[in-house]
Amino acid sequence: MSEPVSRREFMNLLGATFGTGALIRLGSALSLMPAAAAVSAPVFAAPAPGKGRVAILGAGISGLTVAWELTKAGYECTVLEASNRAGGRILTVRSGDTVDEIGNRQVCEWDNEPHMYFNAGAARIPSTHRNLLHYCKELGVELEVFINESKTAYVQDDAILGGKPIRNGDLSTNVRGFLAELFAKSFTQAQLNEPFSEAESEIIMRLIRTFGDLDEDRLYKGSSRAGYASGGFLDHGVLKEMIAFKDVMKTRYLGTMLTANEGETGPLLMQPVGGMDMIIKGFTRALGDKVIYQAQVAGMQIKDDGVDVAFDHNSKRETLSVDYCFNCIPAHLMTGIPHNFPTDYLHAMKYIRRGEAYKAAFQAKERFWEKDEIYGGISWVNAPIGQIWYPSHGIHKAKGVILAAYNFGGGMHFTKMQQAERVEALLAQGEKLHPDYRQLVEKPITIAWHRINHMLGCSARWQRSPGGWTHEEEALFDTLQQPVNGRHYFIGDQVSYHGAWQESAILSAHWALNDLNQRLRAESGA
Amino acid sequence: MSKCIFRIAVALLICLPLQARAQLEGEAYYNDLYCQTCHGADGVGNEGVQAPRLAGMEPWYLKRQLEIFRDGIRGTHPADFQGSEMQPMATLLTDEGIAEVVAWVGSWPYVPAELTIEGDAAAGAALYRSCATCHGNSAEGSEALGAPALAGQNDWYLVTQLTNFKAGYRGAHAQDSQGSQMMAFARMLADEKAITDVVSYINTLAR
Ligand SMILES: Cc1cc2nc3c(=O)[nH]c(=O)nc-3n(C[C@H](O)[C@H](O)[C@H](O)COP(=O)(O)OP(=O)(O)OC[C@H]3O[C@@H](n4cnc5c(N)ncnc54)[C@H](O)[C@@H]3O)c2cc1C
Ligand code: HEC
Ligand code: HEC
Repeated sequence: MSEPVSRREFMNLLGATFGTGALIRLGSALSLMPAAAAVSAPVFAAPAPGKGRVAILGAGISGLTVAWELTKAGYECTVLEASNRAGGRILTVRSGDTVDEIGNRQVCEWDNEPHMYFNAGAARIPSTHRNLLHYCKELGVELEVFINESKTAYVQDDAILGGKPIRNGDLSTNVRGFLAELFAKSFTQAQLNEPFSEAESEIIMRLIRTFGDLDEDRLYKGSSRAGYASGGFLDHGVLKEMIAFKDVMKTRYLGTMLTANEGETGPLLMQPVGGMDMIIKGFTRALGDKVIYQAQVAGMQIKDDGVDVAFDHNSKRETLSVDYCFNCIPAHLMTGIPHNFPTDYLHAMKYIRRGEAYKAAFQAKERFWEKDEIYGGISWVNAPIGQIWYPSHGIHKAKGVILAAYNFGGGMHFTKMQQAERVEALLAQGEKLHPDYRQLVEKPITIAWHRINHMLGCSARWQRSPGGWTHEEEALFDTLQQPVNGRHYFIGDQVSYHGAWQESAILSAHWALNDLNQRLRAESGA
Repeated sequence: MSKCIFRIAVALLICLPLQARAQLEGEAYYNDLYCQTCHGADGVGNEGVQAPRLAGMEPWYLKRQLEIFRDGIRGTHPADFQGSEMQPMATLLTDEGIAEVVAWVGSWPYVPAELTIEGDAAAGAALYRSCATCHGNSAEGSEALGAPALAGQNDWYLVTQLTNFKAGYRGAHAQDSQGSQMMAFARMLADEKAITDVVSYINTLAR
């Protein structure tokens, strides 16, 4: 690799090493950032007399958004929620809560303190999610910073350095040093292909050197950016021993180091103080008794002039006749509820697959990560647990809740295990990072979204192939986004191109509201 | 819907660990409607999670399936994906709980499943002849032989079962005497097409 390479070869090399090409093609939800959408809720006129009854099926954030906007406009809204709580995939677990996993119900026995919680579903709010932030402000939800990256957190991979955990900062500094050296070497060649003026060349070379902390000879010999091995304050710092690139290049986390904190998961991320469900509480506070809990929708008939909804409540089957219906029940559950959807609609619903994300958390008897210079952020582990998150909140308190696993790809690995096996796996894999982990953590909570009652999945999977959305899939999506008879709207992040974000769920609700608003205006104009 | 739901709730609570039970008292809610979350409202079946129709199922067959799921005889083969979705639910059930569930499910009106599969029903009719011995000419089932009704069941589910019996994902457990009989017959269906055809024929049998 010491031979100069052409730019194309260089780009290819980069692609091969870091999989950037593959990443872009995959269009991973986490690395692509859609443009921020302006606040988009429409302004409704008051409903025509006798035309303002609305049923909202499911108290997911999209349903609550519709209920809130239409309530403000004077509509008579009823939210039917199967569970005993609102929020769906916005779930915060605290002392005394029951995790309603089918076949593995768990009760949380953590200390009852405001910082002792775990966001089992949505956890991060990007700065660009303007509609979600708009509601946080409108509903008085206090926000704080969420720390996604800590340079002192770890990367652990059995494939490198004999499985020894390495600090994020050590790895990223060395990767940049290596890349910069490569840039510097190939730059001479690049210059020949496309000449730069001498002044331009100097600028570029300075940038390359700064990027990787190269010395005068454009070589990387280690950097204080990774922190000192000793000293630095009252005596001269001693640089840490440099990690040879070839010793770490086999970990798939090299690319992760470059992308995990970019785009939508880049700074600055936020979280509500006290748990993500503070947003849901904001909505339900505003909606009062409009939300009916333990009301499981059991049937739905769309008519020309409205929608009839059947639901089970207090062991009785009840019906509700409304003018309009907004539905965020996950498509894979809605297919089991008698309905009269048109065939193409049903076909689109059935096309969607459900995701398998898995999370877990422990109560930590002490905040051992703080003794290890870690305050928030993520450690990456090349094992099924995938990630360990240190809480951004409650710094220096006695205890904390540590996220022990976050796996959104092959989540079935954990889902299929029984609780005791899951816990043992969490401990065994966490121990690779923190040697006394097993002694320091207790009271596990595991969240297999695939088996959580009334959800049975973490998010809609529209794409069947890694090549991006096919035209067929786009057509199915369009079908599902359109209302039936102008009376029934499907909403939720399942009706977005960017699943697994609250902003997408809210925007889908706004889309439906805008569509209805236009229809109503056209009708009243006619 | 009936008071039965509440009794199921109580029955299910009995098998929770004592410690958890103390905290769940008064929260019987958590036990109510699991079957319907997966199997659809009133057990009409839900293709979205691959859980078949229960409404109208023979009580003796339902009981046996719940028992073998609970006892790990069905749904524990690592390749039986759908079975492993059902199995953890069944582990919560006591004998009394099963009796309650069977009564509850029995209160759901029978609605034949939507047809989703189109194969060569004529070819399927020929294949079905050997099945009729146990499952009956109209696929109405036979309690004496332990063979359930097939007519009216979700066709996609029948396909999964025949595929799984054939592959030994269902029926191969040493204690699954009923399943093992069926496994032998599923193996007479040469390939995917044969499975689709026989199911297409079963689709034509009204019940
Ligand atoms: C592990 C994980 C991590 C995530 N991380 C983030 C993140 O960091 N940031 C972010 O912004 N988003 C994140 N998300 C995504 C976010 O949680 C979702 O996009 C959003 O909550 C979806 O809202 P929704 O309106 O589509 O409804 P859902 O939350 O899907 O709600 C559906 C509702 O319908 C109810 N229901 C089901 N069946 C019935 C029935 N028969 N009758 C009545 N009601 C019924 C359910 O109980 C539920 O309340 C994450 C999700 C998961 C699972
Ligand atoms: C988590 C989802 C889930 C829940 C909850 C659930 N089931 Fe199932 N069930 C399934 C799936 C999926 C299958 C299909 C298994 C297969 O294909 O082998 C199934 C299969 C069955 C079968 C076998 C049907 C047959 O024809 O052999 C019976 C009986 C059954 N379930 C009864 C119940 C009852 C009763 C309840 C409530 C006490 C229940 N299930 C709860 C998912 C579930
Ligand atoms: C010797 C008797 C016998 C014959 C012949 C037979 N079956 Fe079965 N079949 C059974 C029994 C018994 C069961 C129930 C197994 C159990 O209880 O787990 C069953 C179960 C099934 C099931 C699963 C039903 C459900 O609800 O899960 C299907 C599908 C099925 N049989 C199809 C067929 C087909 C198709 C044929 C012909 C190719 C056939 N069977 C031939 C005895 C038989």
